[in-house]
Amino acid sequence: MKINGPFAVRILTEFIRGELSKFGFRKSVLGLSGGLDSSVCAALAARALGPKNVLGLLLPYGESFDADRDDAGAVAAWLGIRTKTIDIAPMVDAYFERCPTQSRVQRGNKMARERMSILYDFSAREHALILGTSNKTELLIGYGTIHGDMACAINPLGDLYKTQVRQLADYLEVPEGVRLKRPTAGLWAGQTDEDELGLTYAELDEILLHLVDERESREELLARGFEAKKIDRVAALIRNSEFKRQLPPIAKLSSRTVGHDFLYPYDWDK
Amino acid sequence: MCYFDFMNIALAQIAPHLGNLKKNWDLHLETIAKARKAKADLLVFPELSLTGYKLRDLVESVAQDADRAPRFKELKALSRDLALVVGFIEERGNEKGIFFNSAAFLAKGRILHIHRKVFLPTFGMFEEGRFWAAGNHFGTFNAPFGPAGLMICRDFLHLNAGYLLFAGGAETMITISAAPGRGLAGEKGFGSSRMWELMGESLSFFTTSAQIYCNRVGMEDGMAFAGGSFVFSPRGKLLAQAPYFEEALLLAELDPADVRKARKTWPWKRDDKPEVTLTSLQRTLLRHED
Repeated sequence: MKINGPFAVRILTEFIRGELSKFGFRKSVLGLSGGLDSSVCAALAARALGPKNVLGLLLPYGESFDADRDDAGAVAAWLGIRTKTIDIAPMVDAYFERCPTQSRVQRGNKMARERMSILYDFSAREHALILGTSNKTELLIGYGTIHGDMACAINPLGDLYKTQVRQLADYLEVPEGVRLKRPTAGLWAGQTDEDELGLTYAELDEILLHLVDERESREELLARGFEAKKIDRVAALIRNSEFKRQLPPIAKLSSRTVGHDFLYPYDWDK
Repeated sequence: MCYFDFMNIALAQIAPHLGNLKKNWDLHLETIAKARKAKADLLVFPELSLTGYKLRDLVESVAQDADRAPRFKELKALSRDLALVVGFIEERGNEKGIFFNSAAFLAKGRILHIHRKVFLPTFGMFEEGRFWAAGNHFGTFNAPFGPAGLMICRDFLHLNAGYLLFAGGAETMITISAAPGRGLAGEKGFGSSRMWELMGESLSFFTTSAQIYCNRVGMEDGMAFAGGSFVFSPRGKLLAQAPYFEEALLLAELDPADVRKARKTWPWKRDDKPEVTLTSLQRTLLRHED
């Protein structure tokens, strides 16, 4: 689980710089929530592109999560990156006035997609590519909103477990307030990831590391002392979220089909 | 030589469930019961019938050792009065972590032959070489109805595979397949089905051996398996064909005397010169090395 922080930062800053320049971009934009992932991602981007080329969007819903907004502001000030704040409450409320719901998950997803929509608009306005902030833990268990916070142009954090993002945060000396608080998806007030998942990130990441990276079986994890209930829950989360990690399937009809046998590198001609 | 006056063949043109051993097992039992009712002597399932095709990283979780897996024990018992060909992912106890795309022929309560797919399509939409290892042999064996050989899908499209089974004495060749269809320009079904039918007809005529080809149907990740399973007589005659892209239990009657008739009329087998093939190949290979 322990990673070489300086080396990881070297690879990830080169990744950000390289991918952007291949596609003719110098600037990036990302959503700043005041949480660990977006703070680390912003720090990487500031190192890779220079602080002036990073735009952090603060996209709060009304007055809620004021403390998070303050943290996001503190991260931006620490890095010297530009920020812009846009309240998403008017857009989200306008929608739910027409189509009301009691589901806080639905409301949370809508907010995530509203933020996505603004990020893509600013991507065009600023000629800046969107940096994703979904970490490996979230991607593997599907803890994210499809076409919401999972949407981006490139994702520097996608192969780092939450625990490893934390290590990077320590190495990068992200402000302590951000590093110490409990992770939240911010879907509703008082929500924390760990309460909602019923697992701590430390436990979750250990299970994932053995299941995924080490390719170990359920039996091997049991022998390591993990609880059956927790292993099965994590395995089910992984199985049931594959659709969030792939493009939708296309029915193959012709002799050359997008996604099946029309296969080019992402960096095609770049 | 032959135990049957006529051999009743059943081809299970099924849609296996991807990565679900239990559901596929039930599907096999159900199909075996149907074939039994139809008085079949041989029931052929398609490629990877016990596991589904586009397994990717699921491979290791569905792999079985045919000598030890409890389900193969049951299959052996089921094969006492009905010969069976099934497709599975093979991992032997003494070859841990090496997976093969294999076909097993079972009859009289025993596994008579296992063929490991030799030619693994790894191009375009196919990625078999990424996930399993290739076999290295085309062998014939004595089936209850005479000498036979097995091929798996792409093997069938390589001329040398059919030839090697022919040279080895096969009178019946059984190919199990998971061939996806593509191309809609044809009048019926997928354009790519023609390729398999062409090879079936050609091989049956020019090797004077029966060609039994069982393809699967259903869809996996947008890939549509074409069906169109068929049986050609040793004289190049289409005896039966299943519909395209539709589940079916195809029944065909094969007259074991047909091989004799075919080989009396067209003596390809009598006049074959495997030694010329061998020495020519050796020369070709030596030239390659120069």
